[in-house]
Amino acid sequence: MKDQDLMRSARFRKEREADWQRLEKLVLSAESRGLQHMDFAEARDLASLYRQATTSLSIAREISLDKALLGYLEALTSRAYLCVYAPQERLGGLFQKFFAYSAPQAMRRSWFFILLGFLCMGLGALSGYLLYFESADWFYVFMPAELAGGRGPDATYEALRSVIYDENPDASGLGAFATYLFSHNTRIAIFVFGLGVFACAPAILLTFYNGLMLGAFFALHVDRGLGPDIAGWLSIHGVTELSAICIACAGGIKLGAALLFPGDLSRVASLRHAGRDALKLALVAALMLLVAAFLEGFGRQLVQDIYMRFIIGWGIGALWLIWFLFAGREQK
Amino acid sequence: MRLRLRKKQKQDRPSRNQLMPPEGVPLTMQIAGVGVRLGAQITDIVITTIALVAIMILLSALNITGPQTIVAIGALLFFLIRVPYYILAELVWNGQTLGKRILKIKVVSHDGGPLTTHALVLRNMMKEAEVFLPGTLVLMLDASSPFASLAAFAWILVCLLVPIFDRYRRRLGDMMAGTHVIHMPVPVLLKDLASEPRTISQDKKGFVFLSHQLDHYGAFELQTLEGLLRAQSTRPTGSDAERNKTIEAIVEKIRKKIGYANPVPQADRLRFLQAFYKAQREHLEQRQLFGDRRANKHYAQNEEDA
Repeated sequence: MKDQDLMRSARFRKEREADWQRLEKLVLSAESRGLQHMDFAEARDLASLYRQATTSLSIAREISLDKALLGYLEALTSRAYLCVYAPQERLGGLFQKFFAYSAPQAMRRSWFFILLGFLCMGLGALSGYLLYFESADWFYVFMPAELAGGRGPDATYEALRSVIYDENPDASGLGAFATYLFSHNTRIAIFVFGLGVFACAPAILLTFYNGLMLGAFFALHVDRGLGPDIAGWLSIHGVTELSAICIACAGGIKLGAALLFPGDLSRVASLRHAGRDALKLALVAALMLLVAAFLEGFGRQLVQDIYMRFIIGWGIGALWLIWFLFAGREQK
Repeated sequence: MRLRLRKKQKQDRPSRNQLMPPEGVPLTMQIAGVGVRLGAQITDIVITTIALVAIMILLSALNITGPQTIVAIGALLFFLIRVPYYILAELVWNGQTLGKRILKIKVVSHDGGPLTTHALVLRNMMKEAEVFLPGTLVLMLDASSPFASLAAFAWILVCLLVPIFDRYRRRLGDMMAGTHVIHMPVPVLLKDLASEPRTISQDKKGFVFLSHQLDHYGAFELQTLEGLLRAQSTRPTGSDAERNKTIEAIVEKIRKKIGYANPVPQADRLRFLQAFYKAQREHLEQRQLFGDRRANKHYAQNEEDA
């Protein structure tokens, strides 16, 4: 049959059918093998045939009433669209990008919120410390019983000291590590970040409360003359861990602030915008908690010397700071 | 009256299945419902649990865990397996975890742009807060603390209700990341009915339709006829007698409507329908080129309304 016998839309289809079928083949191979394993020519054809197919689709919508053709083109173009606009980054490159640029840059961009986070924790600790010296009973108010682990204003010097310098360490380092990660502080960090969305207040309150506990706990030991020892005991993992909570709080405050003060954007758009940096803060906090868990699970029992505890704790803290301050700077 | 007004406004919005790619030609991709997504989620949980159990068996065979720490280590391992699993799977397989692959659904960017790493990481981190945190809370429920169990219950309810009431069936993480989930479209190219050669009975005179006879129907009726003709050639259902009766009724209806005087013998009925389909399609497509779109047989009344 000659082409002239066909109606316009059938002719339209006949002219392009071979291209569509080739595109279908390319899409299938891209889906099964992945774009990065395709030849240069194939990848180039995929992109150009995809654009042709979108044109065909919009023409077909105008000139054709063939439902089968419209459905086919629609599905084919959609599949090709999904292939062409797939995430193109390599996993290794992604990790490198996160550590080398995006995380420290996000940290530096949100310095104000991080400052707020540390301020919440610091003020809480200060109030807890001062309140304890006003009346030791405050300790019971701030500290949940299961967290104190028998350490209270009634505890003796020896009892407190034996916890700090563990004479017979638990053999199962892994077990301690695992129990730790699901203990109090990780949960606090998750809540502090997640609750920030509700207009900042829960995040700030929770961080402040965490600081109160810390301050009261610290004051108890100072009261017994164990000040430097508890500082060392806390330092080895606490520098990393408490910073992680403050950073998670900063992420939460950032989200809450975006919701409260969206500026020129709509609230949803503003939240989405703030989410880019807040997510990175949360990932950094998660990483720091993981490191802190290692330090607590292994380091705290292995290192019994107070000076070594200080050096390790604050040394690692300094390493974090160097990463945040100096990584990913633009070369001028 | 107000209700009707609102309804009309809602109809004016573009269909929820439409996605606008950067090329500017809207594509139709069916939104995946809550049920199929729940199915994919459960499949993924089963897969990660299998991995967890395998590792736990290995650990206990190596005598690393004690009985008092096994729960904590299990919880930790499950966390360490599932968080990278969801993110890496969606990154590597272009928005599909294994469960999504099995059920043929896929994450797409809500604005039609490319799927970014940030979006995938965010929507899967939110999954922790939306699915797993309340899930663990429920597992740890305790009759002695009614407040906690009530809070966990409310949390789960909210997380489930958000996608049910959202127009695009997005959960909270989807909204924050700017994504939604679709069914994978399947391209199937069927034969063009209009290109079928006229082989049978060339000797007989073909059916001829006049222009005014083709003014009765619109695109909807044409495409319904197309569906009927395709069904005839692919999968005959019901008995022959029944089918013949249906065809006869359709042919008579069309003949009466368009005023086609000659009776159609039984052997020629399908051929009549094919010829009519072709003529009608050519006519409607031509009208469409001139800007006269006929959605269905009521096109004339609609024009008067407008």
